[in-house]
Amino acid sequence: MEPSGQSIGHPIEVVGLTKRFGAVSALDELTFSVRPGVVTGFLGPNGAGKTTTLRCLLGLVAPTSGRATVGGRHYRDLEHPLDTVGAALEAASFHPGRSARAHLQVMALAAGHHSDRVDQVVEQVGLGAYADRRVGGYSLGMRQRLALAQALLGDPGVLVLDEPANGLDPAGIAWLRQLLRALAAEGRTVLVSSHVLGEVQQTVDEVVVIARGRLVRQDTLASLEGGPGAVLVRTPTPGPLAEALGHLSVSRTADGLRVEGTTTDEVGHLAHQHGVEVLELTAEASDLEQIFLDLTGEPS
Amino acid sequence: MNASAGVGLVRSELRKISSTRLWWGLLVGAVVYTAIQAAANAALAGRDPGGGQPATAALGTAEAIRAVYAGSAFQGGYIFAMILGITGMTGEYRYQTITPTFLATPRRSRVVLAKMAAHLGVGVGYGLVAVLAALLVGGSVVLVRGHDPGFGADRLWPSIGLAVVAVGLWALLGIGIGTLLRNQVLAVLVAVFVTFLVEPIATFVLAANDLGGVVRWLPTNASAALTSPGSSLLDYQPWWAGGLALLGYAVVLAALGMRLSTHRDVT
Repeated sequence: MEPSGQSIGHPIEVVGLTKRFGAVSALDELTFSVRPGVVTGFLGPNGAGKTTTLRCLLGLVAPTSGRATVGGRHYRDLEHPLDTVGAALEAASFHPGRSARAHLQVMALAAGHHSDRVDQVVEQVGLGAYADRRVGGYSLGMRQRLALAQALLGDPGVLVLDEPANGLDPAGIAWLRQLLRALAAEGRTVLVSSHVLGEVQQTVDEVVVIARGRLVRQDTLASLEGGPGAVLVRTPTPGPLAEALGHLSVSRTADGLRVEGTTTDEVGHLAHQHGVEVLELTAEASDLEQIFLDLTGEPS
Repeated sequence: MNASAGVGLVRSELRKISSTRLWWGLLVGAVVYTAIQAAANAALAGRDPGGGQPATAALGTAEAIRAVYAGSAFQGGYIFAMILGITGMTGEYRYQTITPTFLATPRRSRVVLAKMAAHLGVGVGYGLVAVLAALLVGGSVVLVRGHDPGFGADRLWPSIGLAVVAVGLWALLGIGIGTLLRNQVLAVLVAVFVTFLVEPIATFVLAANDLGGVVRWLPTNASAALTSPGSSLLDYQPWWAGGLALLGYAVVLAALGMRLSTHRDVT
């Protein structure tokens, strides 16, 4: 396959997306957008509506109202859907009696791809040695790799992956992280859902957080992590330092102080002004998982 | 949709069939069942079945020879072709492969049309293999009974050709059934129940009430119009009308399925 103009990522737009299954409201006026060139995490607890959102985007579920489009077009109106959007939904959508290679051949024939492309993606996801075995004997990690191979088959500019790290071992997760970052660096749109923030924390640049079918926050990961944190200070003289930092919330630790709602710059400046000895200044790692739980309203 | 995209879709459906083992399991079933039918038809031709039933045509007649070869091939093959068609559609929902299928082809009616074309082709293949089994086994029994195999019997080869087409049409009918009933077990049970129980009873009841004109349009009797031209037992449709009736059943069921079932959410 030629790396064509279709490999340039399109933005994903979700506008006022609402989906009710009978009396159950799965999505409620959900609006967000995903831009090309970065990895975007699509986060929320189980049952938040992530999978329903992705299925609406891919034309598998009809929304009650609102729309979800790729480059301004509905999935079902795409001329070459697999060459535009590559999707890996839950890793169970394979016939257990069919080999990975045959599954991909079925897809490639339907999309009009050359059969060489199947061999390429099988190698790319590291399934080469197992590609002719029946999927029924695969581990969850191998199924995830097959799902990813399916998504990559059409060399698409947009990738939509539902919980792709689920079932991968640590080496597999590291490999996936590199792959997704490389795909985004090529200018593609990469949307990765997860119910565990820590799983994608090192992979994503931006996050879309939803809970109970509504948008909670869309932001960069950096600004989600930022905000006033806490500073740990190692000092032989915690008493005088605490006085110097009088207006801040200070608590004693084993070898110094913990100062909330400030930065290392401010603490260092104040210590210098008051001539207090400081041995070490550290910004406390913000607990993203806690932020995530606070945002989504889950009891911690 | 241009022609090459359509060809690709049909080839995709053929690859789905060839890449699991179900197709040859069903084919083995069709061959065995056809062999039994052919052996029985050849062994019993012209003998008094007892119980006041009319005897079948004697083995020397063209009618008996057509029953041994064309009739047995259809009788042995059509149920297996129908099950292949039903599972070809319902298996997608059972194993959730409908998700990647609709991702590759979001226009769902195209998937159904490609499945119909692919299964018609494979069904015709089943019919051809069943004919070979009937010629081999039925011919052997005819020889053992001291008769000429009768390969030159009147209208035998047109009859065999139509039997092959009829088996293919039952695979198409299976796609229609599976499009309407997405649950695989339910679809197979309902189809077999209707074919083996409801239809014979309906045939008997309707015929007893002088509604033979309706009876002739029931699926199995419409098939018999293709496989048993000039049968002395029942007054069937002309062969082309029987074939069109089968095609009509398949198309109506598939259209109904697309209207009622195929557009639903895939979750």
